[in-house]
Amino acid sequence: MQELDGPFPLQLPTGFPYPQSPDDNPMTNASVRLGKALFFDQRLSRDGTISCASCHHPEQAFSDVTALSTGVEGGQGMRNSPTLANVAYHSSFFRDGGVPTLEQQAIAPVHDPVEMDHDIHAAAAQLRDEEPFRRLSMLAYGKPLDGWVLTRALASYQRTLISGWSRWDRWTQGDATAMTESEQRGWQLFNSEALNCTACHGGFDLSDHGFHNVGQYLDYSDPGRERISLDAADLGKFKTPTLRNIALTAPYMHDGSMATLEEVIAHFASGGVAHPNRSPEMRTFELSTEQRIDLIAFLHALTDERSIDQVP
Amino acid sequence: MPHPIFRLLPLAALFLAFTACRPDPVIPPTIPPPPPPPDTTAATGVLRLTVLPEWEGQSLQTFTEYQNFMNYRTTVELLKMYFGDVRAIAGGDTAMVKDVDLFDLGTGTVVKHWTIEEGVWAKLRAGLGVPAGLNYEDPAEYGPGHPLSVSNGTHWSWSSGYRYVMFEGRYDPDPSSTAQLITAYSIHPGMEPSYIEFELLPAQGITITAGDTTDVTVRVAVDRFFHSVDHQIDLATENTAHGMNVPLQLKLVENIAASFSTE
Repeated sequence: MQELDGPFPLQLPTGFPYPQSPDDNPMTNASVRLGKALFFDQRLSRDGTISCASCHHPEQAFSDVTALSTGVEGGQGMRNSPTLANVAYHSSFFRDGGVPTLEQQAIAPVHDPVEMDHDIHAAAAQLRDEEPFRRLSMLAYGKPLDGWVLTRALASYQRTLISGWSRWDRWTQGDATAMTESEQRGWQLFNSEALNCTACHGGFDLSDHGFHNVGQYLDYSDPGRERISLDAADLGKFKTPTLRNIALTAPYMHDGSMATLEEVIAHFASGGVAHPNRSPEMRTFELSTEQRIDLIAFLHALTDERSIDQVP
Repeated sequence: MPHPIFRLLPLAALFLAFTACRPDPVIPPTIPPPPPPPDTTAATGVLRLTVLPEWEGQSLQTFTEYQNFMNYRTTVELLKMYFGDVRAIAGGDTAMVKDVDLFDLGTGTVVKHWTIEEGVWAKLRAGLGVPAGLNYEDPAEYGPGHPLSVSNGTHWSWSSGYRYVMFEGRYDPDPSSTAQLITAYSIHPGMEPSYIEFELLPAQGITITAGDTTDVTVRVAVDRFFHSVDHQIDLATENTAHGMNVPLQLKLVENIAASFSTE
């Protein structure tokens, strides 16, 4: 039995750095358990119908199956809910990177009128005297559950959602049988200069966590990064998503407008439309039918072989 | 040959410039030097600041239909604004008064009690918004009741900053219509480019005596939010700003600053 007030024994895949936590929010057994209890509690929404997990399903690597998630009373978000895998390694949050910490990120869905439409302080007050919230809050933060604790605990739990146990990981670590020949050919394509995928989808998280316009539209209804920077050169730029568990996180793109990996590959093969801000890394390429199959097979090999939720 | 009336326009403009009600001056947006830390040994009094939202000289009634300067049928349904980095000024002396405070003028008259260093002060200088040093603090640090609490509904959780002003209502460009007002306007200045400074200049100055309360009243001419000497806002085409659309945000905040008159 782990000591609840002790540090959480975070399991990390080979080569992954230990994620940083703010000084006021160390990852303890109590903090991550409290965060998990909050994450799945629908009382974080005004009418008690929506939890964080309503739009970040564990079985979809904590993403949503619909293009735009549904909030209280049928409200609809403006962007596709991304996977939460490896958010511990992000330095900014949301598709436009407008929020600098996971702690502050937790405020947004609770307060957004088309998501949970509630208030972190009011939600905490509802749960404060109940178990396990009362005990875990005291153990983790030394005070009753309040809005501050709520945001810390949710962030602490989300930092444990580590993805790095796919067959591709095993293969890169020397297990030659971990990927099929088709998947290996797909990896070679993915890693090739011709396709240039790794220009943005590199590193252990298969993302540079940067902001890019991939020529999805000539006229973006969503300004993307420009909304934060107020710089027109950032119009249509969105944060590069991780490709880990990509087979589980359809639909794709910032607006969930592409239903399948085939559509996504077709878009990137086309080089995208000629938006002035389109990334210079976008280039056209051609794939045979077999190569498309191989590339998609490789993307499927990025699915974790175990749950990315390691909090009991 | 121009109509003779046009020859009189410059004279009319001069007449208006010298006789019209003069609002408190708008200060160009600059980053002020940080004021000295409060002198905790100094004697202090209380400045009771009463802020009165008005429409053409009468107390503003939210959800009541008015006609704006373009004869648009107009309501005001929400009006909140921050004053930040409020300082008392007298010659070269500056005293910090309040780091940030929120005025929910949609609820009517707002009265604030600010502790202020004893002395004779010429004016108050403040920012219309949340100072940069506070704007990106984690709002979860502030509980309900604090001006920066997320419970006030002023925080933009997607950008980690605050809406400096929330100005919302409905309008109809047709002054003769009797239909229910439906079309909404919603102008929310926020982010650094929309942060401007203004001054409140009571004619008699502000005399603070230790242990006493001094009254200052600020009248906010909400009808003037749509037009000033410098800017006009045509709601038919300028009705939405949420962080982006900086030109409209600047028009609004500069009009607001020009709408203050102080007694």
